[in-house]
Amino acid sequence: MNRKNFLSLLGIGAVESAFATNPVHPPFTARKETPSPILLIPPYLRPGDTIGITCPAGNITLKEIQPAIQQIEGWGFHIKIGDTVGKKDFTFGGTDAERLTDFQQMLDDPAVNAILCARGGYGAVHIVDGLNFSSLLQHPKWIIGFSDITVLLCHIHTNLHITSIHSKMCNSFPDDWSKAEPVQVASILSIRQALTGEKMQYTVPPQQYNRTGSAEGQLVGGNLKTIESLAGTVSDIDTSGKILFVEDTGEYLYSIDRMFWHLQRTGKLDRLAGLIIGGFKVKPDDPGDEFGRTLYDIVTDRVKPYSYPVCFNFPVGHQLENYALKYGVPHTLIVHPDQVSLAEK
Amino acid sequence: MTLPPSLRPGDTIAIVCPAGYMPRERAQTCIDTLQQWGYAVKIGPTLGGTSENYFSGNDDERLADLQAALDDQDVRAILCGRGGYGLSRIIDRIDFTRFRQSTKWIIGYSDVTVLHSHIEANFNIATLHAPMAAAFADDGAKGPYVQSLRQALVGDKTAYNCPSHPFNRVGQAIAPLTGGNLALLTHLAGSSSAVRTEGKILFLEDVGEYLYNIDRMLRQLKRSGQLDRLAGLLLGSFSELKDTTRPFGATVEEIILDCIKEYGYPVAFGFPVGHDGANVALKTSVLYELKVTTGQTFLSEEDY
Repeated sequence: MNRKNFLSLLGIGAVESAFATNPVHPPFTARKETPSPILLIPPYLRPGDTIGITCPAGNITLKEIQPAIQQIEGWGFHIKIGDTVGKKDFTFGGTDAERLTDFQQMLDDPAVNAILCARGGYGAVHIVDGLNFSSLLQHPKWIIGFSDITVLLCHIHTNLHITSIHSKMCNSFPDDWSKAEPVQVASILSIRQALTGEKMQYTVPPQQYNRTGSAEGQLVGGNLKTIESLAGTVSDIDTSGKILFVEDTGEYLYSIDRMFWHLQRTGKLDRLAGLIIGGFKVKPDDPGDEFGRTLYDIVTDRVKPYSYPVCFNFPVGHQLENYALKYGVPHTLIVHPDQVSLAEK
Repeated sequence: MTLPPSLRPGDTIAIVCPAGYMPRERAQTCIDTLQQWGYAVKIGPTLGGTSENYFSGNDDERLADLQAALDDQDVRAILCGRGGYGLSRIIDRIDFTRFRQSTKWIIGYSDVTVLHSHIEANFNIATLHAPMAAAFADDGAKGPYVQSLRQALVGDKTAYNCPSHPFNRVGQAIAPLTGGNLALLTHLAGSSSAVRTEGKILFLEDVGEYLYNIDRMLRQLKRSGQLDRLAGLLLGSFSELKDTTRPFGATVEEIILDCIKEYGYPVAFGFPVGHDGANVALKTSVLYELKVTTGQTFLSEEDY
């Protein structure tokens, strides 16, 4: 998206009115959400509240999270550093037992108001079944992360109906704030906005392959490969009546195609309210194995039988521009020929 | 369980490519060999052909070729030329009506796991997880793996043994066999093509995966209840594995054992199935006896 455009639009109120005289085409009737369990929205954070940092997946050093600590303390929050920060068991941020214990105490500590995962990588699936969510249910708090943390976001959405935040993590905070790209700064500041209760609203330029329309529904999704790896398990998400967003990195086009077929064949595409395609860093085809289709072809083919709105290149994923999204919270998606907007209801 | 009829001399085997592209000449040794074995060979338009991209033809072409082979009463077995990727795109459009009325052997592995799994899950008809056309080349046709396919086709009971492996868990089981490529089995999870592994001997193999992804896929099988009630577990080759810049810190054997440590069924590593050359013909859905001893692993087809 156009950076300036985004920054200038950040914070501007509802844009629906701009479309009032210019109805979207073809006409699209948003499917009403099926009655779902009561949504638990954790309390938003106020200055003086505490954010716990823990490593449920990959490892990170205390030094590497210093930029995040400084920035977040600058926002007026306290930081509680989990025992897994600085721990290392090969790629993991400590052994399974250590990561489980650390995350559990963050869930159970009444002084912790939000849990920021230090980084993704791989490993959340090792601890998710061992976590006891009873204190989280009693005292919901924001869980923050993306990529491998999709495991936790999906699991918590499906089983606890508690909303969470899909966003950048500690490893994405710039060392030198003054030299950071504006979109990176904006992406990180969006975490603060989400945590403090601002209504999230993003407006991005249209893309050639977008399918216009409007939709309302809970926002769910995350890393596509991780979503596939949860199929058939208790952490799997039901997408019907919801706005699904997906992103991925380092996958071959054929694999992306296969994952979209997986979504379709597991009933995750047919009853969507809307579809948001985030960033996809595609792994180049091996010579002689050219797949011959682009991401746009792949997605367009899969959503052909349906009529909901679809947008591409939404700024979510493994890239500098990766804005905080309130996961599980009802949103309105408007895909208009002139622009795309995603706004919290 | 339905066992398709064994082949007799003069029977016809169709070669089709329901997934990736394969030049005709790559399958020539296979064609010649099947004819030497006394079979007629019917070449579908998806072997070779005009496709210029990854697939052997577009979805409609691949579907039509496979469908024609399934419906053709003269065709007694369908050998998939190669795997790659593509069956997921057509599996839901295949009409199995005539195949179910007049069963025949479907042969292949890798991406063909989709077909095996779908047929087992929905129709409980035996299929052949076995070498494909490329395996016949370079004297492969005379080797034990292609020969095991030949024996399976004529109706011989398949029986294999392999040396024991330090990580094996001894034990014995008599149960139907299921399995295939790990990535495809997880890809099918939650879909109408997913098999239920409960009470079965599961075999797994994969190629070219990152170690962390092997771990993630096994966790998915475990978390979807596909590992806890097995009769036994057979591990084939996990070849050309990759590791992340920060090493994963466990071997594939350690990853697998860690995932199944709480279960007591027999486990055997190093079974000759997979992408690493050693790949015996295995009949899915069919009852096998698995014996994992301290000296050897045996897998032999039971009477039905």
